[in-house]
Amino acid sequence: MNPLDEPLTAFERNARTVLEESVRRIDGRTRSRLNQARQAAVAAAAKKRAPWWRGFTLMPAAGAAAAAVLVMVVMWQRQPVGELPLLEASQVSAEHPAVEDIDLLADGDAMEMMEGWDGSFYEWAAAQNDASGESNS
Amino acid sequence: MSEFATLASPYSMPAALHGDVDLTDSSQQTRSRALNQFLAGVELKAFKIAQAGLRHEDDAHDAVQDAMLQLARAYADRPAEEWKPLFYRILENRIRDMQRRRTVRGRVIAWLPFRGDEDEDEPDLIAQAPSPDLEPPQRLELDQAMSVLEKAVGELPRRQQQAFLLRALEGLDVAETATAMGCSEGSVKTHYFRAVQTLRAQLGDLYV
Repeated sequence: MNPLDEPLTAFERNARTVLEESVRRIDGRTRSRLNQARQAAVAAAAKKRAPWWRGFTLMPAAGAAAAAVLVMVVMWQRQPVGELPLLEASQVSAEHPAVEDIDLLADGDAMEMMEGWDGSFYEWAAAQNDASGESNS
Repeated sequence: MSEFATLASPYSMPAALHGDVDLTDSSQQTRSRALNQFLAGVELKAFKIAQAGLRHEDDAHDAVQDAMLQLARAYADRPAEEWKPLFYRILENRIRDMQRRRTVRGRVIAWLPFRGDEDEDEPDLIAQAPSPDLEPPQRLELDQAMSVLEKAVGELPRRQQQAFLLRALEGLDVAETATAMGCSEGSVKTHYFRAVQTLRAQLGDLYV
């Protein structure tokens, strides 16, 4: 298809030939500079079009960070206003059983003892101890 | 995407030369190759058009470079058929901006007491060396024709110059030229007709 909509006149054809010749004569230095500019432009376009799945590679880290923030917010809101987040041992009382539970959970030996609790044995041992005390007296 | 599959790749893949680019998608590689080929096809003519508008080699290079980057960053995802008019639209805007800036700079410099000729570039003898594949008489005739045509085109009003070069040199049709110039097809025809009339009046003896 002729790119021009109408046939070229002789003048236009000659002018076009001369213009194309002038393009053909562009020197090597200019061609080299234009080539470098083109390489930079194509590289810029490639950088811009990052793969769509790249956005998902940060999802685990972003999820973990969001979860940590959520836990912090919940704990902060449950904390009574004006109180320290942790209590001293002397302050532990029946009002704060949760602190005792934390100590229990942190002590591995205590957990094993709780799991292997044999109430009948301890009751029997206590009864034996009481009976021996009465007989001694 | 299929229109790119048939395009040859006359140049190496530039993105692969840069270690920071990771193109794993073959369609992206194909598109980058198509963009590279498109720019390679227009860069020399675009440089000539910019040179006619700016009359300065370095400025023309800068204008073409900016247009390439702008097209690659903003319009690389558009269909390839739209690239050419978009590219020349960007280039034309860039040329106009540089012309305005130069006008302002010229007014400012005119008021300065001291101004040297430091902008004058040294002539590049290698760059000015004539093409060796023409006989001297033909070369002389062509040199003369080229010189007077470039001078006459450079003196055309900007819109006429643009219409003439986009159609006669780049080969855009009327609709593409209108898109590139940001005007109607009727205006393109008017500008082009007036440009040809002016050039024919000045150069008729040499070109007919």
